[in-house]
Amino acid sequence: MSDIRKWFMKSHDKGNNAAPSKPSNQSKPSSDKPQSDKNVAGGQESSGRRVTSKYFNTNKQKVKDEKETQELPAKRKNVKDSEDIPQPKKIHEDVGDDSVLPTNKKKLAEATPTKKLKSESGRGIPQKPAVLEESDEDDKDAVSAVKSAGRGGGGRGAAGRSSGGRGRGGGRGGFMNFGERKDPPHKGEKEVPEGAPNCLAGLTFVISGTLDSLEREEAEDLIKRHGGRVTGSVSKKTNYLLCDEDIGGRKSEKAKELGTSFLTEDGLFDMIRASKPAKAPSQAEKKPVNKAGAVASPSKVSPKSQVKVPLSSRSPAKQAKPKAATTVQSSVMWTEKYRPKDPKDVIGNQSLIVQLRNWLKAWHEQFLDTGNKKKGKKQNDSGLKKAVLLSGTPGIGKTTSAKLVCQELGFQAIEVNASDSRGKADNKIEKGISGSKTNSVKELVTNESIGANMERLISHHNMSKLSKSVLIMDEVDGMSAGDRGGVADLIASIKISKIPIICICNDRYSQKLKSLVNYCLLLSFRKPTKQQMAKRLMDVAKSEGLQVNEIALEELAERVNGDMRMAVNQLQYMSLSMSTINYDDIRQRFLTNAKDEDISPFTAVDKLFGFNAGKLKMDERINLSMSDPDLVPLLIQENYINYRPSSTGKDDNGIKRMNLIARAAESIADGDIVNVQIRRYRQWQLSQASCTATCIIPASLLHGQREILEQGERNFNRFGGWLGKNSTMGKNYRLLDDLHVHILASRESSSGRDTIRMEYLTLILKRLTEPLRTLPKAEAVQQVVEFMNTYSISQEDFDTIVELSKFKGQPNPLDGIQPAVKSALTKAYKEQSKSRVVRIADQITLPGIKKAPKKRIAAILEPAEEGGEKGEDATLDESEEENTSDTEELGGITKGEKLQSELQSLNSKAMQVELELKGTGKSSSKKASGGRGKGASASGKKAAQAPKRKR
Amino acid sequence: MLWVDKYRPKTLDHVTVHTDIAHNLKKLVKEQDCPHLLFYGPSGSGKKTLIMAVLRQMFGSGAEKVKVENRTWKVDAGSRSLDIELTTLSSTNHIEISPSDAGFQDRYVVQEVIKEMAKNRPIDTKGKKGFKVLVLNDVDKLSREAQHSLRRTMEKYSAYCRLILCCNSSSRVTEAIRSRCLNVRINAPSEEQILDVLELIGKKEGLQLPPGFAARIAEKSNRNLRRAILTFETCRVQQYPFTSKQTIPPMDWEEHISEIASDIMKEQSPKRLFQVRGKLYDLLINCIPPEMVLKRLLHELLRKLDAELKHEVCHWAAYYEHRMRLGQKAIFHIEAFVAKFMSIYKSFLIATFG
Repeated sequence: MSDIRKWFMKSHDKGNNAAPSKPSNQSKPSSDKPQSDKNVAGGQESSGRRVTSKYFNTNKQKVKDEKETQELPAKRKNVKDSEDIPQPKKIHEDVGDDSVLPTNKKKLAEATPTKKLKSESGRGIPQKPAVLEESDEDDKDAVSAVKSAGRGGGGRGAAGRSSGGRGRGGGRGGFMNFGERKDPPHKGEKEVPEGAPNCLAGLTFVISGTLDSLEREEAEDLIKRHGGRVTGSVSKKTNYLLCDEDIGGRKSEKAKELGTSFLTEDGLFDMIRASKPAKAPSQAEKKPVNKAGAVASPSKVSPKSQVKVPLSSRSPAKQAKPKAATTVQSSVMWTEKYRPKDPKDVIGNQSLIVQLRNWLKAWHEQFLDTGNKKKGKKQNDSGLKKAVLLSGTPGIGKTTSAKLVCQELGFQAIEVNASDSRGKADNKIEKGISGSKTNSVKELVTNESIGANMERLISHHNMSKLSKSVLIMDEVDGMSAGDRGGVADLIASIKISKIPIICICNDRYSQKLKSLVNYCLLLSFRKPTKQQMAKRLMDVAKSEGLQVNEIALEELAERVNGDMRMAVNQLQYMSLSMSTINYDDIRQRFLTNAKDEDISPFTAVDKLFGFNAGKLKMDERINLSMSDPDLVPLLIQENYINYRPSSTGKDDNGIKRMNLIARAAESIADGDIVNVQIRRYRQWQLSQASCTATCIIPASLLHGQREILEQGERNFNRFGGWLGKNSTMGKNYRLLDDLHVHILASRESSSGRDTIRMEYLTLILKRLTEPLRTLPKAEAVQQVVEFMNTYSISQEDFDTIVELSKFKGQPNPLDGIQPAVKSALTKAYKEQSKSRVVRIADQITLPGIKKAPKKRIAAILEPAEEGGEKGEDATLDESEEENTSDTEELGGITKGEKLQSELQSLNSKAMQVELELKGTGKSSSKKASGGRGKGASASGKKAAQAPKRKR
Repeated sequence: MLWVDKYRPKTLDHVTVHTDIAHNLKKLVKEQDCPHLLFYGPSGSGKKTLIMAVLRQMFGSGAEKVKVENRTWKVDAGSRSLDIELTTLSSTNHIEISPSDAGFQDRYVVQEVIKEMAKNRPIDTKGKKGFKVLVLNDVDKLSREAQHSLRRTMEKYSAYCRLILCCNSSSRVTEAIRSRCLNVRINAPSEEQILDVLELIGKKEGLQLPPGFAARIAEKSNRNLRRAILTFETCRVQQYPFTSKQTIPPMDWEEHISEIASDIMKEQSPKRLFQVRGKLYDLLINCIPPEMVLKRLLHELLRKLDAELKHEVCHWAAYYEHRMRLGQKAIFHIEAFVAKFMSIYKSFLIATFG
């Protein structure tokens, strides 16, 4: 019975249980009398349910349940009424049986064949939310329920167990929501039924969650192939929510709210299967609508098909079309033949068209009749722009609408498109329109009206009598190399124009049009919905005598991505070879250009490595890996080790997998080499090779189940580690460079950077840390500072050296050094900073500049001892002073005060405490700098210590 | 001061290891007709020391008064202009740079920067030393393009600019450049020579050397004199007086690599590969050049490997090292090597032990 729950158990369990349960259910669907069937079923189940629900009254969540039980009798009496009762989704497994009741009165008739299935599904679906917390309880309850109900004992038992299992698996279910959808548990195991082609006509489905054996796309296909419609979200019109487990998402909530029926995959199959024997022959010839009527209750379908077609496209088009239909098989392109003849025929965007019309109508009053002022007033008021910019994707009727509107208002449209050169007008425009088109455009716009033949129709005064012109600048974003200065010139034209200008572009946000948009009224055309398109396409098909069903046309509309022109072209093309077009034909035709989706690199990698990635087509793989050609390879590289390749089959000691990994690794390395060619030598033609090497080959070798390699790792693809590591490496190299430069500058050594790292570093580290560990503090500090001075190693370098010698799993080189010793070292080093011979520019602290690195060190030293930080702060001030006093030799007390305020402003970000400290620390250090050369070190010491004491 | 630097011979006369070469170089400099020089040899053999000594021989002690500069050059590279930052070490008469620091932009360094340096006549032209010297380190790391651009520079400005090139392996220096230089091969010093040097240092430092101790250091140093001295001093810092049993500490990174190697030998599984990757990243992050990582790793692996696999493994190491130079993301190649090794070794184990 309870398939769904079983899916969370081992698959063999499922087989056992599903098998018995189905036949029993299927005995009924074939019967023609849904109503009676229904009642019987409802009666049976509700009785069962009542029994069980008794047991649950005690459960907190059961309250609702009970209510329903009470309602139940009523339901049974009149099944149609039951529709608005919320399905008992959250409730118990057993309670789930309720969903059998048809929930939507219109749907009643269709529901019957599948009722059984629904009952199965209904039960499984609802569980999730409740079960998580209560699985234990439920288990018990379920068991007791089994006993008392005495119905389907075996199945129940299974249900009980599975619900427990589910509780455990619940957490995982949660994750799944943001990873890729899990693979169907029994993928490909079920036979997909064939039904009458239109057996689902008029029904609307929403798919949610993972189905039992079908991928979501497959299910969608199946439904569409049989004339059903699949939408993305649940609405009133939705007849079924197709799902095999209730993941409790928004869809199911909404469905519950609206009372949409739940349908399992098996239910769907049965529905399709049921249609076949009895109805297939008779319905084959019928039109979809009728057919749907036959299967479904008529009331449902017909309203629906009308509602479907959105309002904006009004029907006059229809009348126009049939006329055309008589002239069959002419060689005219359909796109021309069926181009709308009236603005109202244009699909969608009617409001924009109205806006355009109003604008055009008002144009002359706005800009010319007000005393011929050159350019009206250029307000921001949208009505008062002198030009209009229509934007939108190709094939949605921008040009057509523009032309039609002009025509309607009696304007003469002059179209200039990308096929004309539209460069900057010759500045000697006065010379006339002799040469380029541009000049003629200029000419055109500066005269109020002009005939199509470019003949000048004189005079501003009698213009009203003459035909008015409109300039349509088509494809303005296509103004490119050849049309230098085109846009600027167009703007100039707009400014002086005496005729309206309609600009048309595809991408309104194009960089080129940035300046233009300021001068135009912006009208963005939207893609028509697929229903709108399907309707028009249907008209076309009808008048051409093509047999097409609406679902097929919707699919077509979807596949062309709103491009009406392309849709019509495709239709014409297909009409050449066939006279009946159904869903599959369209699918076939568009196999290659599947819907474009924006997929994240993670999804792409998931798909590439997915269990059934082997079935992906090459160009699908390329698309996936190219979805982000930088990130996807990195993700793949990071994660390929984690996959247990499904291609190896039995692999006892993992040798096959190891071999595959080696091959994959080599391929990734290949990809790196190719990438160098691409980036360094700009051989972009190799990018496909690189994507093959870095993504496709490793993925095809290793796709399979992902497993975790580290305890506690989540089983999701990690983000590519290379980026982070590489930047750390870069940082460390910079630090090493600094160290290297300092060592070079000390003139003691002239080794290369790598030598320093590889050979010197160990010893230097020893020389720096060993004394601190072993010798008495004072001596150690002195020795180390001396060494640092010899090689011009600064405090930063010290940290660098330590940092670079750290390896995971090996003791930190600083272990065993007393914090006190460390801070003493810092202090000692700082103390000497005045007397030190500074050889490198960057070791002189400039006021305001070296802030950032100082902060970094402060952060490092902080945990060790606060005093260290303080001391440092003071010395920082000191060294700043060093500089200032370099310029103004003597630091008197007064001057010192000035300096102090200066410094304070420099350190304005410092904490208040430090400001306080500075007060004391600074003045003493001031003295130090004043008396530098003599007793500097002594006072320096004071300076360093002062803050500490204060603290 | 570290002993390496303290006891580095400053003049050609003081050179103890490659005395014959020093002798020849001295003659060369004396005769005023110094050609371009290409020093090559393994690291720690004394190339740099000799170069410094030669410079000193040429220009006197002025050559030691170097200043370090971090200069940024604006280079016009076709459509864009690049900023190349380079550290130069220069005295009045010579400039030392490592053009390979600029990564794959080294071509521009050679084309623009070096040319500019080479073009400028030295400031004091009145003396006989009418040329200046450009010392280029790590020429073998220069890209092919850079080397090609270099050869023109070498000829054109040879009148007043001498190049001293320094590299580890002459095989990576193009034929054209090699033929324009006087090639000076600096051998790695023999263990006896190293031993001599160590004993000399020990004497000068007044250390008690237990018998065989210096010999062990020399042996461990892999005929790398610098390393021997550094190790010697490390031992000194670690423990003094020496005992003959004293362990000779390995370099930190070598230790890490040998850990990796034993990891690999112990288990060949994706999981282990993943852990190894982490450790390799550690090494690279700590600025160990990837070539060294690979080389050392091979070395460590070979020590533990059965003879019959050695050949194959070496082959693959060479293969991946080559590819690493062609590529950019070193970790990919090292990882590929490790994966390859695991796969080979695993099948070997299975074939042998079932």
